[in-house]
Amino acid sequence: MAQGDIDLGVQVGSIAMKNPIATASGCGGYGEELAEFYDLGRLGAIVTKSITLQPREGHPPPRLVEVRAGMLNAIGLANVGLDRFLAEKLPALARFDVPVIVNVAGSTPEEYVAVCAALDAADGVAGIELNVSCPNVKRGGMEFGVAPEPLAALVEAVREKVTRATLIVKLSPNVTDIAVTAKAAADAGADALSLVNTLRGMAIDPWTGRPALTNTVGGLSGPAIKPVAIYMIRRVWEEVAGPRHLPVIGLGGVQFAEDVIEFLRAGATAVSVGTANFVDPQTCVTLVDGVREGLARLGVSSARDLVGRMQRGGET
Amino acid sequence: MAQPATQPDVSPRRRLEMPVLDRRDAGSDYVRLVLGAPDDWISRPGQFLNVRCESAPRSAAASERRPLDYEDGGEWPQATGLELGRRRWPVVRRPLSISRLDRRGRVRVEILVRPVGSGTQWLASRPVGATLDVVGPLGNCFTPPADDRLAVLVGGGCGMAPIFGLADYLADLGREAVFVVGAPAVAQVPMRFKRPPEATGDVARPCPTILEPHVPVPTVLATEDGAGGFRGTAVAAAERWLDQAVADRPVAFYGCGPEPMLRALAALAERRRAPCQVSLEQFMGCGIGVCLSCVRKMRDPGSEVGWTYRLTCRDGPVADAADIVWE
Repeated sequence: MAQGDIDLGVQVGSIAMKNPIATASGCGGYGEELAEFYDLGRLGAIVTKSITLQPREGHPPPRLVEVRAGMLNAIGLANVGLDRFLAEKLPALARFDVPVIVNVAGSTPEEYVAVCAALDAADGVAGIELNVSCPNVKRGGMEFGVAPEPLAALVEAVREKVTRATLIVKLSPNVTDIAVTAKAAADAGADALSLVNTLRGMAIDPWTGRPALTNTVGGLSGPAIKPVAIYMIRRVWEEVAGPRHLPVIGLGGVQFAEDVIEFLRAGATAVSVGTANFVDPQTCVTLVDGVREGLARLGVSSARDLVGRMQRGGET
Repeated sequence: MAQPATQPDVSPRRRLEMPVLDRRDAGSDYVRLVLGAPDDWISRPGQFLNVRCESAPRSAAASERRPLDYEDGGEWPQATGLELGRRRWPVVRRPLSISRLDRRGRVRVEILVRPVGSGTQWLASRPVGATLDVVGPLGNCFTPPADDRLAVLVGGGCGMAPIFGLADYLADLGREAVFVVGAPAVAQVPMRFKRPPEATGDVARPCPTILEPHVPVPTVLATEDGAGGFRGTAVAAAERWLDQAVADRPVAFYGCGPEPMLRALAALAERRRAPCQVSLEQFMGCGIGVCLSCVRKMRDPGSEVGWTYRLTCRDGPVADAADIVWE
């Protein structure tokens, strides 16, 4: 099949992506930094850094440490805050022909709702991705996303205010069964799911005994977590997303075009690329070309046709 | 880091492949790599390259083995006791200061590599003819003194790298400068001298001819063991030399090196009421202002708490020493 005949377009909620490649939250900044390396209009979507109601300075450094086949980060949701995002960052993105998905974080349901309502009303926001891996201060610091009840309550509250933008819930992998939280998010009205967020991890200097990160605990990302992401996407696709035709944005260690194809086969409609942007700022556009080549080699005319398509394995 | 700004005339940041044109050992601890750059490449002293590295191969047998999941990640680590911790795959790039830019003829940039970890060991072992995957030029740069004051350049460890380029730059501008180099011992200075520098104890004075690399300004050597040059730190040597040779002439300090050195230099500048710019080091994830990991606390009168985090990769690495909140 000629590469020119390949249709890379995919649909996530009301977002028409021209290809299944997006930047992952926190790994593409507010877009402008990567725009120095390529036209953002070549991407399927960009997902911004987490936005909170108030600006946040983030954790003291070191915030990031390299580990074998991955990295740990604890940035602490450093961001410019909702007002500056709307006034400065969002308008700057308008010049690119790319759907903008804004990642939202908060420490109370009210904070999420306020930020999401403002974003839903703003021009140029195609989607809202809820980062539910934040500590819920009202519930003693337990993450919103680790149990179905607080997650459902949060998604319902936000859903009420998000009437226009596609609402995506980004699931935490730090749970016993991700199908449970996936189902809770879907039942509460999510238009799409994205998974997986980082895995909780830690590194300790063997000689000084000091934790490598000031925050002690961080999120593990990169190639190290890819098989975990593939498994969890498959699990969610079989239990929730497949039967309900709910799109999944897959992420976790995507680096090569083969990885994208693997994610699609597991059940992702699109992928987000995180850590790989740090290795090579041009990764995302390289992947667009690579996926087209890969689909041509497979004789598959549309990226959509590959979603969920894997052979049955042996019984386990 | 408001004052030392990015110059408007530097090349846009981009990702490119640079061939290794020359590779030389520089002292016992460093390797100098000369890289070919495009004709339109312009960088300024203080800016850096973010270089993609792989794991240093352990042996031919090990490097022949292909990893399962990495086209480019080097070989599998072999658990050999304490070595294991150094046997990881570099995932993110390694930031290296541009130590020199040569635009006469083919454009060349130089980096000074100290092979300390797996990534830098791999980098230091790149032969002539190899190609490096580089993002740059990144970061801001040193700003020359506003008037004809004497520039005092202080470098220690890997921090010597951008100081070489700054010495070239100031000499080209016709500015007067002196370079003060600090190292544990003469062997660890990334320079080749015409004859071994003699011990001068507590006297700081320019050292004999440096054969390589060419440094266009007088160079004062300080060693901790005192077997060559001034006995003591680079900052102590700078202060002594100023007391001996310069008296009350206004100066401007420039520094790059270990944190205690920079802090001592900032204190010296404060005592002499002189401006001081330093290049900071911080572990970086991306180098291009995206990951927000390489933050430093900088004074910010506009903020409620009096400081704010600035990115070392994007707002730095060069900062006005008076703006730094030392921790």
